[in-house]
Amino acid sequence: MADSELTVTAAAVLTAEDEQSTGLRRTGRFTLIARRFARRPSAVVGLVLLVLLVVFAFVGPRIAQWGYDEPDFLALAQAPSAEHWFGTTTGGSDVFALVARGLGRSLAIGILSSVAITVIAAIIGTTIAFFEGWVERVGMWVLDMLLVIPSFLLIAMIVRSSSGANGWIWLTFGITVFGWIGYARVLRTLTLSLRELDYVHAARYMGVRSFTIIRRHLIPNLGSVLIIQTVLGVVAAVNSETALSFLGLGIKAPDTSLGTILQAGQSVILTAPWVLIAPSVALVLLTFSVQLIGDGLRDAIDPNSRSGGRA
Amino acid sequence: MGRFLLRRGANYVAMLFVAVSATYLLASVFMDPRSNYLSRNPRPPMDSINASLTAANINDEDPLLLRYWRWLTDIVLHWNWGLSPDQEPVASAVATRIGASTQLVTLATVLAIVIGVAIGVYTAIRQYKWQDRVLGGFATFFLVIPTAVLALFVVIAAIYINEALGFRLFYVTGLHSYEGDNPWLWLLDLAQHLILPTIVLTIIGAVSYHLTQRTYLLDTMKADYVRTARAKGLPLHLAIRKHALRTSLIPTAVNVAFSIATVFTGAVITETIFAINGLGRYFVTTIVNNDINGATCIAAFAGVCTLVGALLADLVVAWLDPRIRIS
Amino acid sequence: MNPVLSVRDLHVSFASEAGTVRAVRGVNFDLMPGRTLGIVGESGSGKSVTSLSVMGLLDENARVEGSIRLKGTELLGLSELELSKYRGNEMAMVFQDPLSALTPVFSIGDQLAEALDLHQDLNRKQVKERSIELLDLVGIPNPAERLRAYPHQFSGGMRQRVMIAIAIANDPDVIIADEPTTALDVTIQAQVLDVLKKAQRETGAAVVMITHDLGVVAGVADDVLVMYAGRPVEQAPVDELFARPAMPYTMGLLGAVPRPDRGENRRLVPIQGNPPSLVDLPVGCPFADRCPLVEDRCRTAEPDLLPVAGRPETLAACVRADELAEQGVTFEDAYEVAEAAESTLESVPRSEREVVLEVEGLKRHFPLTKGGFLRRRVGTVKAVDGVTFDVRAGETVALVGESGSGKTTTLLEIMKLEAPQGGRVAVLGKNLEELSTRERAGLRRDLQIVFQDPMSSLDPRMPVYDVLAEPLKVHGWSRPKVNARIDELMKLVGLNPDHVDRFPSQFSGGQRQRIAIARALAVNPRLIVLDEPVSALDVSIQAGVINLLEDLQAQLGVAFLFVAHDLSVIRHISSRVAVMYLGQVVESGDTEAVFTAPRHPYTQALLSAVPLPDPQLERGRKRVVLEGDLPSPVEEIPGCRFASRCPVRATLPADDQRRCDTVLPVLTGGDDQLAACHFPLTRTSAGLTDVRETTRA
Repeated sequence: MADSELTVTAAAVLTAEDEQSTGLRRTGRFTLIARRFARRPSAVVGLVLLVLLVVFAFVGPRIAQWGYDEPDFLALAQAPSAEHWFGTTTGGSDVFALVARGLGRSLAIGILSSVAITVIAAIIGTTIAFFEGWVERVGMWVLDMLLVIPSFLLIAMIVRSSSGANGWIWLTFGITVFGWIGYARVLRTLTLSLRELDYVHAARYMGVRSFTIIRRHLIPNLGSVLIIQTVLGVVAAVNSETALSFLGLGIKAPDTSLGTILQAGQSVILTAPWVLIAPSVALVLLTFSVQLIGDGLRDAIDPNSRSGGRA
Repeated sequence: MGRFLLRRGANYVAMLFVAVSATYLLASVFMDPRSNYLSRNPRPPMDSINASLTAANINDEDPLLLRYWRWLTDIVLHWNWGLSPDQEPVASAVATRIGASTQLVTLATVLAIVIGVAIGVYTAIRQYKWQDRVLGGFATFFLVIPTAVLALFVVIAAIYINEALGFRLFYVTGLHSYEGDNPWLWLLDLAQHLILPTIVLTIIGAVSYHLTQRTYLLDTMKADYVRTARAKGLPLHLAIRKHALRTSLIPTAVNVAFSIATVFTGAVITETIFAINGLGRYFVTTIVNNDINGATCIAAFAGVCTLVGALLADLVVAWLDPRIRIS
Repeated sequence: MNPVLSVRDLHVSFASEAGTVRAVRGVNFDLMPGRTLGIVGESGSGKSVTSLSVMGLLDENARVEGSIRLKGTELLGLSELELSKYRGNEMAMVFQDPLSALTPVFSIGDQLAEALDLHQDLNRKQVKERSIELLDLVGIPNPAERLRAYPHQFSGGMRQRVMIAIAIANDPDVIIADEPTTALDVTIQAQVLDVLKKAQRETGAAVVMITHDLGVVAGVADDVLVMYAGRPVEQAPVDELFARPAMPYTMGLLGAVPRPDRGENRRLVPIQGNPPSLVDLPVGCPFADRCPLVEDRCRTAEPDLLPVAGRPETLAACVRADELAEQGVTFEDAYEVAEAAESTLESVPRSEREVVLEVEGLKRHFPLTKGGFLRRRVGTVKAVDGVTFDVRAGETVALVGESGSGKTTTLLEIMKLEAPQGGRVAVLGKNLEELSTRERAGLRRDLQIVFQDPMSSLDPRMPVYDVLAEPLKVHGWSRPKVNARIDELMKLVGLNPDHVDRFPSQFSGGQRQRIAIARALAVNPRLIVLDEPVSALDVSIQAGVINLLEDLQAQLGVAFLFVAHDLSVIRHISSRVAVMYLGQVVESGDTEAVFTAPRHPYTQALLSAVPLPDPQLERGRKRVVLEGDLPSPVEEIPGCRFASRCPVRATLPADDQRRCDTVLPVLTGGDDQLAACHFPLTRTSAGLTDVRETTRA
């Protein structure tokens, strides 16, 4: 639990500094957030887990005795052993190497698409909300229209055609391109109340240009929401990735992700359960830890509103 | 009322038209039905490949807009949604699978709402007590666990139970296997097939209703009118039950209405794992087979469901909330 | 006689992020049957927490200690279930915000019936009869019909009447009213206070009236308890307290309020500094840091609330109370009262000054769509429908009106600098209709705005430097010039220039409003529009901001368009006033003339509805209490918009009444006072002015 101690002391340091610097004795925003976050054991556990998983994804492939793409034809569908720590698949691939590699892929896809989604959603959502009148009307119509067809179907369609080493980039692209719409709606709703705040009116009446207002006033004040949404968005993106790859519509061999290992494990559920169990545990730890961090951040940033983002 | 419904209906049709057209064009650009034939061994002659593709109006040698125009006029004039690369009409394929999806999803949805809302209310009232923390922990766990993982572990557990019992209590694939005509045995057989996927879908659904209902109730519990009710002499728990709960159910009802859309397409993974021939599984098939017309047809059906859900949500709010009903 | 409610040594604390908040620290009072106790204090003084702890309605994380006895029964320590037998039955409460206090999904009838059923055994018919009786009592027309209505169909004032009906449903012995009229307009406030008095007469209940408004207390209370930083600092019968306050804080509070009934051009006297934080209170008297009469011994121990020598009914928490009472120290002795600053433009007659803003027949209509589901256009909201006034260089023009009068819409129309829907607006002689884009950008420098809420008018994520630099950057100031200007601005509004790196949250409300004023001044505007700039501030802080505005005007010659609903502030600060009703200006002119001899019946009613912070005057006052609410702005009214509530129209013969109903009056008159009324009041018929003019000199 070295990490949790680290977090706690960091918060303590910040607090001490804060109390000295201002005579007003107000607690700084980030201090407060860090302190509240550190006070939640579940959030700290989540952070530790995530760090361990990231370390595993980076270090795993280096310490594994087999590469994920070099099958051991002498050991097909073997149970975990000293040589194959998590066992092997029916094709002789080392499950440890596969999981480490797959975890890296899932993490990369999850984080990249979640960040991209947040950026796109923030820009479009705030813009639609800020400009009243026809921009808003047309924008909302397009957003509604884009939500008519479930995005899962659309992602599957465009990722289907791509395979090989670039498959994961296409998948990230697909998840991003069809994933921002719902978030944009949420952010639009939030911006609607922000745009009525007096400091936004004040900036308008001063003659500040619209995009400057969006950049200077709206997006920074959505900051906490954006951070939380990015973190929780990782869970959603990892889940999408897993589902698509599991159905054979996402990452395809020779590349691997946790979803494709699950798919391989499904057919040998009784004869070689380890193929299924290792990626499942990795997946659950990954999504669970990120969710814990996200929940912890949400409670720390805004203790009053526990409502998830819903349009 | 009539004029309003007409206007909204027209708007929805316009949305649907644009969305489905875009889906068709997207599918045509990204899917390659020719590859189905090219990868066959022995490879059929080019002429026959082209003939089959043209028959299904998915030949990439025809201009895209021409194919689109043919596809559109067929639907508008003849209600013909086109053929799959195997020359099967896709509309009837979709129609036959709606039934299976409905059987699978209806019970699970009802259970999810009832269980989820009940737990949501229970935990909101006990905010921060151990019951809330424990149930909240479970909810978070099931919220993030990928459906495939959950379903596969349910399958593993069922197989172990079957083995331990020495007979097949749970079926892990399909919806029916009984072939006699005793209706009771038929029903029992259906139940044995349905129970596992229903468990999976119920857990997934209930968790989200639990968390949202909890949030809604917590929001209304802090409302001024609950304090007024207490000031009148209602004890806290009654004030919550009478005044906060009623208001907090309105957004949940809206979610229920909206969920109609996800019901039919949200079960893709579950249908795949339990080998149920519903819409979700059919969708995977269309994608794998580069079936442009089939995939678009499913997308259109899902789109209709979404819009029906949206309309229903409006009606539900208007019915439940006097602020909207009378104004 | 035994007290119905007796509070002893009440302490309430909450755990918070920053530490334990000691919200209430030792409150004692006895409430006698049928009497009214006013609890006065500024925000954070602990007055609301006191009332909620009596009702047992505090959150679970509150720690309550001491004793609260209701007719001899100890309430502290009772379980929720036991307490609920008293709540709504023997003690009842009326809350501040009537808009959110009723459950939106139940009808008024259901909510009244619930209160009755909880404590009485009545059959359906009896419940209905009693409900109708109650609604009738609180002055709701057509009570039988209105039972089926839902809260959203009622106006704020009507909802507060319903709340009062619920409170008195079971004949309580104690009614606690927590700021019951703060959210209401002044004419509605007068109605609701009347209803509350009537309810008290009917039930014989004792009332605890919690408010920050000294005028309200003067009008309704028998005894007054003044709270500061969680503690009572003075308690006395109402006349005694207003005539001879014993504690320096009370003196300051009374002195800081502008008076609606006095025209003299005296400077307001703010109390310096801010109330202490309740988390970490200083040793000694919590008021010591702001007190002009502070001595060293004030800082050693917190004084108890003790009787003042020679005045047995007055209790004060001040070590110097006896001494001050003996010497007869008054507000004027304790605080330094200065004369108003002289304006450089004072010598120039108004007619010779430049017109900085001209508004003529301004119109702004909105389409009204109805319903969430069946959204369709059902009418037109005439938010602004013929507004005319002008502002000249260096003067303050006040726009006054109740909510729904269109004063904020008028401001926004001007601030947009776009061609109006109807009428004419000219800023610095430039007609908005003929403005080029470049001219508009240029005008943005000459016209600035200050908003009501200092919390939301500054971006919480920007340090003060960036806040002040924003307008300067728009107009292309160079960096060194910006730095120098910001330094100058901070000094101008009385803030430390070293604090420019701090964030808005590190300043108090009053300081934040000063920053907002500094931002408006940054680019040397000719006209500043102030939208309720002091209404979110406590009185002791408000005075400082008003003084600042007056000084700035005298110093810089900037003109103010001041929008407010508080007539006292308006009389104090403005030289001219325009009274708005339902989207139109009904009277305008020189402030003194309008206040001393209103010609429009609405102005008269408005002025008479303002409670005066003087109990003796309040008692002797004749009031024109208006009937009913503001009509909906959707209604098509061909004639005078005020006709439906006009007390003058009611006395007219039928022919004249028809004229009011059918012909729209226009602003007419001379002598620097215009009124839009067919039958304007004359000096003698106004009647009320006599009362006002006999106020002590």
